[in-house]
Amino acid sequence: MSATSATPAVAQVEIPRPALIPRVLSAFSGTPGVVAKIVLLGILNAFAFWAMYVLLTRSHWVSVVVLALATAGIDLVYLAPTRKTLPLKFLIPGTIFLVGFQVIPIFYTVKVALSNYSTGHVITKHDAIQQIKINSLQPPPNGRSYTMTVARTSSGELVLLLQDQTSKKFYVGTTKALTPLAPSTVTSGPLGITAAKGYTVVKGAELFALDKTLQNFIVPVGKAGIRPQTISTAVELEPTLRYDAKRGVFIRLSDGAVFADNGKGAFAHGADELEPGWTTGVGAANFKRIAKDPLVRQPFLRVLIWTITFAALSVAISFAAGLFLAITLDKRGMRFQRVYRTILVIPWAIPGFLALLVWAGLFNDKFGVINRMFHIGIPWLFDANWAKVTCILVNAWMSTPYFFLVSMGALQAIPDELTEAGRVDGGTPFQLFRRVTFPLLLVAVAPLLIASFAFNFNNFNAIYFLTAGGPPQANSSIAGSTDILISYTYKLAFAAGKGQDLALASAFSIIIFAIVALISAIAFSRTRALEELA
Amino acid sequence: MSSVVEAAAGARPAVREAPAPRRPKLADTWWRHLVGIVACVIALFPVWFIASAAFNADQSVSGTSFLPTHFTLKNFSQILHNTVVDQSTGSKVDAPFLRWYLNSMIVAGAAAFLTVILSALAAYAFSRFRFKGRRMGMLTLLLIQMFPQLLLFVAIYLIILNTGAIFGFLGLNTFTALVIVYLGGALGVNTWLMKGFFDTIPRELDESARVDGATAGQIFWGVVMPLAAPVLAVVGLISFIFTLNEFVIASAIMQTTSHFTLPLGMRGFIDQQYGQRWGPFAAGALLAAIPAAALFMALQKFIVGGLTQGAVKG
Repeated sequence: MSATSATPAVAQVEIPRPALIPRVLSAFSGTPGVVAKIVLLGILNAFAFWAMYVLLTRSHWVSVVVLALATAGIDLVYLAPTRKTLPLKFLIPGTIFLVGFQVIPIFYTVKVALSNYSTGHVITKHDAIQQIKINSLQPPPNGRSYTMTVARTSSGELVLLLQDQTSKKFYVGTTKALTPLAPSTVTSGPLGITAAKGYTVVKGAELFALDKTLQNFIVPVGKAGIRPQTISTAVELEPTLRYDAKRGVFIRLSDGAVFADNGKGAFAHGADELEPGWTTGVGAANFKRIAKDPLVRQPFLRVLIWTITFAALSVAISFAAGLFLAITLDKRGMRFQRVYRTILVIPWAIPGFLALLVWAGLFNDKFGVINRMFHIGIPWLFDANWAKVTCILVNAWMSTPYFFLVSMGALQAIPDELTEAGRVDGGTPFQLFRRVTFPLLLVAVAPLLIASFAFNFNNFNAIYFLTAGGPPQANSSIAGSTDILISYTYKLAFAAGKGQDLALASAFSIIIFAIVALISAIAFSRTRALEELA
Repeated sequence: MSSVVEAAAGARPAVREAPAPRRPKLADTWWRHLVGIVACVIALFPVWFIASAAFNADQSVSGTSFLPTHFTLKNFSQILHNTVVDQSTGSKVDAPFLRWYLNSMIVAGAAAFLTVILSALAAYAFSRFRFKGRRMGMLTLLLIQMFPQLLLFVAIYLIILNTGAIFGFLGLNTFTALVIVYLGGALGVNTWLMKGFFDTIPRELDESARVDGATAGQIFWGVVMPLAAPVLAVVGLISFIFTLNEFVIASAIMQTTSHFTLPLGMRGFIDQQYGQRWGPFAAGALLAAIPAAALFMALQKFIVGGLTQGAVKG
């Protein structure tokens, strides 16, 4: 008892520890620890070798080399008998994920932003040429058509049993050739061949499962080919384009027009482009579009202004409300303080996406509780201006508790002596607040305000779960009235129906980053967080 | 940024030492109570109505009232049996709510747990070792973190699309891919937060363990981690809640309903369907919100301290 009181504070921390440490050490020391390390490294290596094998079979040489070097490096760090690699042992696990899913995606975003990656430009040039060749096949004016039956040979090879609809002659088509079938070996009905000697007809589910295969099944005939049109008919097709591999151009057979690589990922003859195109670097074209193309620039500027307004007002309103509540309820000795405090934190504690979906229901203009309760008919979510008000109000509802708690802490941190001195000097309560309390409070809270602004700048959920960016704008742009930059970007990338423009979306990401980085730079210069680096 | 916390910590004894003032009279504080009550009503407004709707027999949002008009548990049983009957047409709608709930718990749980481990490991290195590039490393973490993963969703989608073509288990629509992608954001603010806490754990403890023959790994797992439990809990909870709310990356990676997390599933479920599915939605929302909110409230004190040092929750 006397020993404890002789060494206060320190004894409380240190005395139990020697008991714990030997216990933990005995559990981990020696063999089990080493075994665990070897087993984990073994699993990692086995996995890496398997992955390297898979990559090798697919000729991803660069990936194989990178993976091999990384694995060797990790083994070296964890097995080398030196203390020099000690920090690395602790840093490597997190860094692997950081590099893989944060650093590499940053570079990849830049790469995509400088490309034309979008609907119609998602494959390589080589694949695009093959696809154009297939697409260029068209039925000629007097082309033959066939009834078709899909069948397999005795060896399982897929063939088409065809009957010419005009000459009624029978053929069997493979991917290599078209050969006549003797009528005596064939049973046929009005819908074509129903059975043939030496072939098994494919029916039902198996036939439907072959749909994809059949789309690319071409029976070569002369310079043309026969291709399935439905599951029971086929037509003769002729190419309308010729690919000149030497010059790397397509030539239209009807008029000799030359479609050359236009440098933007497509074969073009004037403004006429062949589909599909391919993915290629286009330099700063996407950024130029944002700067110059009115179809992109106008929505961008409108959305940018709203994004800044939304973030600034959300922060301003929730800070003002939180501070007001803190001042009002932080009265020493007041009853029910804890009750108020507990209840007021609830909006912040509920998972945000749920709160937003619930508010969207409550604000519904026809059925919503709010309109019915107050007997009003405000189109909270379906009018461009009201929807903006709703977004800001709901977002402020969600983040007011945060500023309430923060303001409360900051207010309590301001020494009483300062306000006391002001009161002695004859300041009114309002003067004291304006001249003493508020400036001190702002010093403490300013970095949080800036951080919160940066957060709300990209507060995707607050918009997407409430209005989904709507209501739509009259000009039928993808960007709705309440879309902020990040939700607009999301729609550009994944919007249904209007085509994906992943390249433009990536360019937007980079612009958002530049804006947020600027704000963060201000935040860091203000907070002096960097000075804490000892 | 930690000035609030430090100042608060420094000022607290002064507050305690001051003579306790007499409890103010209600005549002076009535307006404070009025403000407090109004604020509480606004704070609880949606909570009250969602609870009322969850127990109400009318499934439409227009049936929502202050108290349930016809008390029922039907909404909960529909949600828990994964099928919702459309009130107007009588047709059954597949709503694998439990599946989404489980998916969210798996993804958010795994991401939070691994985030804590990864960032604690890195924070320990930054806190205890002096090595070349330490300062640069911490600065780099901050800089990289300024490019939030949210902005990288296009690149992440394409990367996962491509890896999936080679390694199926890392492709679109897999939980491994989603969790691993989230771990890319594990370091950063979390590491800074933990490093700050680790710095306050006396180095003497490390040294006494080292004298006893402990390796760095043993000191980390056996000495530092148990003592850092509060900050581990905070980082774990913050990252759990962040992951639970995350929509953009999850929607880019997860493609089928059975793989959805709660935000994806619930949004798809209620989207444009406020007239038909409000009741079951309310029940589901209540079931999902209560555990998360309770956990959050319980750890609230720590979180405010943690957040004022850098992170912001949505």
